[in-house]
Amino acid sequence: MPRLVLSGLTKAYGKLTVVDRVDLSLEEGEFVSLLGPSGCGKTTTLRMIAGFVDPTGGSIQVDGSVLSAPGAVVPPERRGMSMIFQSYAIWPNMTVAENVAFGLKLRNLSSEDVRSRVREILDVVKLENLAHRYPAELSGGQQQRVALARAIVVKPSVLLLDEPLSNLDANLREEMRFEIRRLHDEFRITTVYVTHDQGEAMATSDRIAVMNAGRIEQIDAPHLLYTRPRTRFVAGFVGRTNLLEAQVEAGILLLDGVSLGSAGQAGLPALPHGEVLISLRPQAMTIHEAAPTDAGLVLEATILGRTYLGEAWDYVVQPLGTGLKLRAAAQPLEAHDVGRRVWLRIDPRQLAVVA
Amino acid sequence: MFLIDRRQMLTLAAWSAATTKAWAQSPMHPQERALYEAAKREGEVTWYTGQYSAEPSEAAGRAFTARYPGVRCNVVRTTSQVAFQRLSQDARAGVGQCDVFSSTNGGHYIQLKRQNRLMQFRPVNADGLLPILRVSDPDNYFQSSFIGIYLMAHNTRLVSETEAPKSWTDILDARWKDKLAVGHPGFSGAIGLWALQMRRMFGPDYLVRFERNKPQVGRSSIDPVTMMTAGERAVGVAVPSATTLTSISRGNPLRLIYPTEGVIAALSPSAIPNNAPHPNAAKLFMEFTTGPGLSTAVRTLFNESLRPEVPPPDGSRPLDQVTMLAPSMEEAERGVPEVREVWRELFGV
Amino acid sequence: MCRRSARSGANSLAFEDIGMSQGGAAAPALRPSRFRLLEPAMLLWVALIAALLVLVAAPLVKMLLISFEMQETGEFTFQNYLTAYGRARYLDALRNSLLLGLLSATISTVIAVPMAWAVSRTDMPGKGFTWAVVLAAFVMPPYLGAIGWILLAGPNSGWINVVWRAVTGATEPLVNIYTFTGMAFVIAMHSFPLVFIFVKSALDLISSEMEDAANILGAGTWVTMRKVTLPLVWPSILGGFILIFLETIALFGTPAIIGIPARINVVTTQLWQFFEDPVRVEVAAAFAIPLLLITIALIAVQKLMLNRKGFVSQTGKGGERREVKLGPWRWVLLGWCVSVALLSVGKPLIVLLQASFAKAWGRGFSLDNLTLRNYRFLLFEHDQAPQAVWNTLWFSAASATMAIILALLVAYIVVRKLMRFAGALGFLAMAPFVIPGIVLAIGFYAAYAGPPMSLYGSALLLILAFTARFLPIAYASSQAAIRAVHPEMEEAARILGSGRLHAIRKITAPLIKSSLLGGWLVVFIVASRELSAAIFLVGPRTRTMSVLLYDLTEQGNFEVVSAFGGILLFITMVIVGIGMKLVGRDFMLRRE
Repeated sequence: MPRLVLSGLTKAYGKLTVVDRVDLSLEEGEFVSLLGPSGCGKTTTLRMIAGFVDPTGGSIQVDGSVLSAPGAVVPPERRGMSMIFQSYAIWPNMTVAENVAFGLKLRNLSSEDVRSRVREILDVVKLENLAHRYPAELSGGQQQRVALARAIVVKPSVLLLDEPLSNLDANLREEMRFEIRRLHDEFRITTVYVTHDQGEAMATSDRIAVMNAGRIEQIDAPHLLYTRPRTRFVAGFVGRTNLLEAQVEAGILLLDGVSLGSAGQAGLPALPHGEVLISLRPQAMTIHEAAPTDAGLVLEATILGRTYLGEAWDYVVQPLGTGLKLRAAAQPLEAHDVGRRVWLRIDPRQLAVVA
Repeated sequence: MFLIDRRQMLTLAAWSAATTKAWAQSPMHPQERALYEAAKREGEVTWYTGQYSAEPSEAAGRAFTARYPGVRCNVVRTTSQVAFQRLSQDARAGVGQCDVFSSTNGGHYIQLKRQNRLMQFRPVNADGLLPILRVSDPDNYFQSSFIGIYLMAHNTRLVSETEAPKSWTDILDARWKDKLAVGHPGFSGAIGLWALQMRRMFGPDYLVRFERNKPQVGRSSIDPVTMMTAGERAVGVAVPSATTLTSISRGNPLRLIYPTEGVIAALSPSAIPNNAPHPNAAKLFMEFTTGPGLSTAVRTLFNESLRPEVPPPDGSRPLDQVTMLAPSMEEAERGVPEVREVWRELFGV
Repeated sequence: MCRRSARSGANSLAFEDIGMSQGGAAAPALRPSRFRLLEPAMLLWVALIAALLVLVAAPLVKMLLISFEMQETGEFTFQNYLTAYGRARYLDALRNSLLLGLLSATISTVIAVPMAWAVSRTDMPGKGFTWAVVLAAFVMPPYLGAIGWILLAGPNSGWINVVWRAVTGATEPLVNIYTFTGMAFVIAMHSFPLVFIFVKSALDLISSEMEDAANILGAGTWVTMRKVTLPLVWPSILGGFILIFLETIALFGTPAIIGIPARINVVTTQLWQFFEDPVRVEVAAAFAIPLLLITIALIAVQKLMLNRKGFVSQTGKGGERREVKLGPWRWVLLGWCVSVALLSVGKPLIVLLQASFAKAWGRGFSLDNLTLRNYRFLLFEHDQAPQAVWNTLWFSAASATMAIILALLVAYIVVRKLMRFAGALGFLAMAPFVIPGIVLAIGFYAAYAGPPMSLYGSALLLILAFTARFLPIAYASSQAAIRAVHPEMEEAARILGSGRLHAIRKITAPLIKSSLLGGWLVVFIVASRELSAAIFLVGPRTRTMSVLLYDLTEQGNFEVVSAFGGILLFITMVIVGIGMKLVGRDFMLRRE
């Protein structure tokens, strides 16, 4: 039985529907991210799961029992979940240990149990030496660890994270992603993670649900989401891509009149006849100054412009005979002058047809 | 019980308006005229008074300004002890602000005279006062300006006339517990005199026994009148006859009690401090207080007249029919501060 | 603490500011332009220091000095202290004051904290109404409330007891105002708005996530309130508590009006006795010193208690607030607020109005008991009443103006860190906040009443005392106003060629105008009802409405007193109305 099931979950404020018939199911121990731009309804969905927001339609079930349905909502304090907030919401008037012990005390544990579990979890998050500090005396990353410890120590049925890293600086954010994933691997708590940062979602999640305008556009494993975006929105939102209008005529994919070969050859599923939208990642192309000898999908092109980004080059290339402008990535040492004639090799496996 | 109706009140008012007007227009004698001319240049007179209650004090101030246009009277009405406190604060700060000082506690004048803080002046009008008031101080450092009669009164709805206490010692009886109201000798000069007189007549035990009846302590001697009117307490102790009569005239169910031993009579003077900022206006004001002007003005509010030609107020017993008790001024000077301390130790405030 | 208020900027009325201002001095900005404006600014700085020394430091120092002086000879002596503490009665007064302060502060806190929580964080209905109640209770002078409560809860004649006896047939009164708790209650009824304002503005800063975090860990609404929300605003609760304690031990009117009949002597009424002939300022000073020591001790205790902890949301971000849903409980809270409204404002106001139009208030609400005589007497027959009204208006206006100008200059220097030791200025400006008013008044009397200044009886003495006493209010609003104007706004004007003064006039002044007006009005209102400081400083020509009202209460003539109170309230209402019109509805209670 899935741990958490959202079915047809809807939230509307008057005529404005912010969460629209969301269906989502998490297995025990699964880590799922809700990824999307601000205003897409991901936070509202999370707060509905937590019980802070009442749904106007659909339901939320945990282990088969309904926690939220219109007009019948179990309050947050009786859901056995825990949550990490954007602001951490560490209580500044309590020490680290007091913060962490808060939820345990409410569960009527003996003070000996409370103490030992607090000590254990602080060990896990590497805060064992700071137990008696006040939050004001901690760095942002340490505060974040307190929030994690406080949420995990109660062994919640579901752990909810609401943009937990958005207040940290870039280096720390990177570190904390792995920390969150490490803690998940250690405790296997069923987790819903809300973020607008795809890097975070990719690094932490088993699956990612991309949300847009209140709806889930696609749920998939991170790498599939990247290579096989199913909608225009997902293709555009997750990573950079070239979204191209193409025609399929007699099984042949035509890009502005230039043939990319048959669908089978490109490694694509059978294509319908007519107009399609395809997503071509900049990383799916390599640039060569000499024509590659091996077989494959190769187009001749001209370099129109280039930008050096540090980790890579960002080229703008134009396949001959088309008006297309494609962006292609290249290693720092692969410098090609603007105006030069080159050959563009395309990895057909990374070409996705988008609805 | 004495009650005057509206018609009588109107007649009274008409009479007083007429006499006030007559007096306001009566010719000035030469000393008065000379003082008035000098006072006009000073423009005002500041009167610290604890003798008459607020309404008659204001009435007196208005009567003064009416007779002497161009000389404004600033009435600073407080309780007598507070007035004296203000005067002391002025002296301490070295600032002269008071032109005429009026207190019910005669001891104040003995002290001020001894400390050489008063101005000698005898108003011409003093010769026309009632015989007992004519010479308040042989050296003329102060002149009579007030007869205060302090007695008892009761709320007739709470206590019938027959049940009411008859003498100053009656109120020591336990059945008056929680029924009495009284002023405070730390504020009211008259209460200081009363407390002193009671101790003299009935011994130091009097206040101790009085305290056992848990009287409600106000500040001014007038305060118990309000307490009786409101029904908070049944019997007022050492209340001024004038305020009580005024309250009765307004329809409140009160009745005066003339204690068998006699009433406390505060025959109190006024004086000019020798650092008075407006000495001529002050002297003019002394002419006013000793003259018919003051008596006429305060009489309508049931205060005793100081002059034979101005009739006493309605409803109070003529002075020659009552026994008047009071410590001498010399006794008051030393005795009132003492009794005030005794009081504070007894009552806690 | 310093860090916190500097960051939030919202505790500008709390004691922390003193500490904060000191902190501000530590880092004067080193900018090259300083050398160029050194001279004029230096002069201003010296002038401000001088003004603050005259207003705040000199009276206190003088008071301390004379407490060791023999009267008249001026020799050094400890005799004043021996006299001041040499009697059980005097020590009782001290003990009574401390107990009264604790009790009033406790009642105020119990009243105000649930109200503040309900208004700030819940879905209780009638929030506008609750605001109005707090405002009204704040505006009503405490001594008027005391008189109202005498009329309500006098053991025999008070309305409540009359009704109680009529309904139950009981012989014993239900309530008695002439008791220790009665007095503490009346004081609390007019002090609780301070706690409310403190606590509510702190609660407003708490992000809902703080509560959510507790909810999701298993804490329900009440546990969350008790364990998380209220502890987060603990400094504000403590600050409000201490402030009310200080206000109460410095209060003169209520103890004189209720305490004397109740036979409870407190420090202020005892101080008054030391002013009896012979005036013993020296002993009074010695007797007032403990109030100052208590103040210092309290602030030290506060610092100690708050020590390392952090409070109101330091991370600041994610400051979204949602109302806590209370369900049927919101009606219980509303009931609480309505009860407070009735007790603090409704009932006293009704009986005061009744008395002011009554021939004899004890006769009740009947047509033949109606009269305008009390108002007529005051307005047309009383020599000093119109004078007192006028005095009150112009003293209040003058001190509000002086306080705001002074505070604005100090705040500008402190906030912009224009000078070294600017923080010291801020400290002096905030200090009167924690000096009991009556202590300041005795200091003023000692320092300026007699020679060489001989200000006793002059309007200037009162205006200076009011200015000093309410400087912190003006300073808090000026500081907040200036903080709200980002220096870059001025700098943008200056880089375009406008001088500093020109920039202030054209850019800063218009931006802070309404805050300053709000501050001015609040100072005006509190000055117009000030009694504790005025009572020792007035002369015959400088009596204010509050002092005259107090003198009128001596005679117990509550009808006239109520009418005068009615006039005072009317004037205040007009000012409040003007303020609301010009500055906004919540100008009295806003704490930027």
